[in-house]
Amino acid sequence: MSALTARGTVARANDSGAFGGLPWTVLRLHRTALLLWGALLLAVVGTLIWMYAIGADARAGLSACATPATDTLPSCSDVEAINTDETYGIGIGLVDTALSYLTFPVAAWAGAALIGRELESGTAELAWTQSVTPVRWLTAKLAVPAALIATGTTLIVLLNVWARRDDNPDLVGDWYNPDVFLSTGPAAVAHVLAGLTLGALAGLVTRKALPAAGVAFAATLVLYNVVDWFRTSLWPTDTVTGRAALHLPRSSQVLEHGAVTTTGERIGNNLACVGYDNATDIKNCMARSGLSDFWATRHPESHFWPLQFMETGVLLAVAALSTAAAFRLLRRRTP
Amino acid sequence: MTAVTVAGTPAAPPFATARAMLRLHRPALFLWTGVVLAALALMVWGYGWLAEPAAAAYQRLKACDYACSYDQDAYLTYKDVLRYASYLVTFLPLLVAAWAGATLTSRELESGTAQLAWTQSVTPTRWLAAKLLAPATLLTAGTSLLVLLHHLLWAEGRRADVLGWNDILIFQANGPTTVALTLFGLAAGALTGLLLRRSLAALAVTVAVTAAVGFGLNWFRGYFWPTLTVTAPLKDGPWFGGSVVSYGAVTSTGAHVPVPDCAQYWSAAKDCRAQLDKQHIVRFYSEMHPYSHYWPLQLTATALTLALTGLVVLLAFRVLERHTGTVAKGTAV
Repeated sequence: MSALTARGTVARANDSGAFGGLPWTVLRLHRTALLLWGALLLAVVGTLIWMYAIGADARAGLSACATPATDTLPSCSDVEAINTDETYGIGIGLVDTALSYLTFPVAAWAGAALIGRELESGTAELAWTQSVTPVRWLTAKLAVPAALIATGTTLIVLLNVWARRDDNPDLVGDWYNPDVFLSTGPAAVAHVLAGLTLGALAGLVTRKALPAAGVAFAATLVLYNVVDWFRTSLWPTDTVTGRAALHLPRSSQVLEHGAVTTTGERIGNNLACVGYDNATDIKNCMARSGLSDFWATRHPESHFWPLQFMETGVLLAVAALSTAAAFRLLRRRTP
Repeated sequence: MTAVTVAGTPAAPPFATARAMLRLHRPALFLWTGVVLAALALMVWGYGWLAEPAAAAYQRLKACDYACSYDQDAYLTYKDVLRYASYLVTFLPLLVAAWAGATLTSRELESGTAQLAWTQSVTPTRWLAAKLLAPATLLTAGTSLLVLLHHLLWAEGRRADVLGWNDILIFQANGPTTVALTLFGLAAGALTGLLLRRSLAALAVTVAVTAAVGFGLNWFRGYFWPTLTVTAPLKDGPWFGGSVVSYGAVTSTGAHVPVPDCAQYWSAAKDCRAQLDKQHIVRFYSEMHPYSHYWPLQLTATALTLALTGLVVLLAFRVLERHTGTVAKGTAV
């Protein structure tokens, strides 16, 4: 950009808007990444609109049926012949998976291409001797991709929720399935932002493109797995006891099933008598196995939003901390 | 390495280029050693200390129809260790692909170091041969060891019934296909580096290509060996044990036909008896692989991957030759 090489003047003639030419420079420099991001967004938006369009057909493929057909129920062979439900499930599933793992390539890119490469080649140092201060340089490097990524992922999440319609778990998976959880709420955006800032920090620490990509990827992998491990612990669980614990609705994320023996011993992770429907069967099963009570800990579907907000909060804190660390490191390195 | 910089003599000591190669990629060598050692430690722990108690706990639980106390910690720890080990071994080829794509040939071509080396005693052909041979040896040794131990870890805890032999995480990680895929990643890295001559771009492309090959091997793995045909009576529905490739219905003449839509769910099959009779369907058949097909399937997939790797290596030398013209005389084909 010729604007960047103009000597020492902060205000330049061809500046557009209040932000100056810097954001434009960042976009221009990383146009391959910008194009890839645009192409990915287009593909995902196209897929989701298509999925919304076939959503009704997909549900018809799962409807109740009878053989032969009755007045109220279609014939089973007609229902079986509908394959749209598979296409729909695969389409939504692909988007969910892509969104859940987006943070990894973003982190590697931020470490290698956004920050590491310029520090390795000296382009950054050159830029700092021109009109751009190091702090403004890093601000632009973080703010421009963060804005694009946040808007893009928010758009995908909103469209995804729209395309999933009634969230029928037989078609699109249960809300507590990790991929589903990570693509239907604000935690999706926070994950990618945390990846971006961790990547940038890795770039500043290593000051080399390839090691930065490796470190950023490893750090995000650790973050992803730690969050996955503690996801269900971020909000207090419900405990259900007695017979109710034996048939919880599918919308409950069951964390532990347990049984209490007649001698008072509590056996965790135990599925004894689960699935028995009527009282006699349950009584027989309890007598046979020597059990006196059952319990289950779970997250009902109403915990979706508290869990989403907690996870988003944790990830945004990670993003804020790594951003602060990046700026602090930059200040210490540059007089 | 001084041996490399001796002017114009083609007769550098035979291992000099390999030594230079190891020296240049010292960080990668340390990282590789670290990853292999960490994975080995994890799997030895699982094999020696966790598998047997987990299997015993699971068998006890099964014997009492899931209604007694058992060593839950032993079972869950083994399950976690096996899963982590499987993930690690499964994704190792991609890690190698990323490294090979980013550093093996692309970085030196980008910076001009390669061109400089070629004006010294190293011909381009020998340069590429050393780039491939030294890491190929280390990668084969390390990956073989990991795969072997992974297989032991899985087999020792087989009675714990955590993941079957045909599970997507286990099938590849338990056999030499993983070793072959690692070598493919290495070769693909060399080729993309020569073609793109840009470090980061080559990294991305190599990972994508290697992932595609690994995915393809998994997708088509059932077709790498003739299947067994198992039939089952109408009341049982098709046989679903082992690894089923396809299934259908058998008519009274012995012909194989698709299962009628009304009988897709076996519980409903009795309701469509009329439909089955009309098509003279008498049994169901399944084309499947029992566990005894594991090795033939694995070895065919390995041979295929190695053939693909050979092709990529050949292409890499071709591309290099075209780039450098006659400089590669002597050792060039």
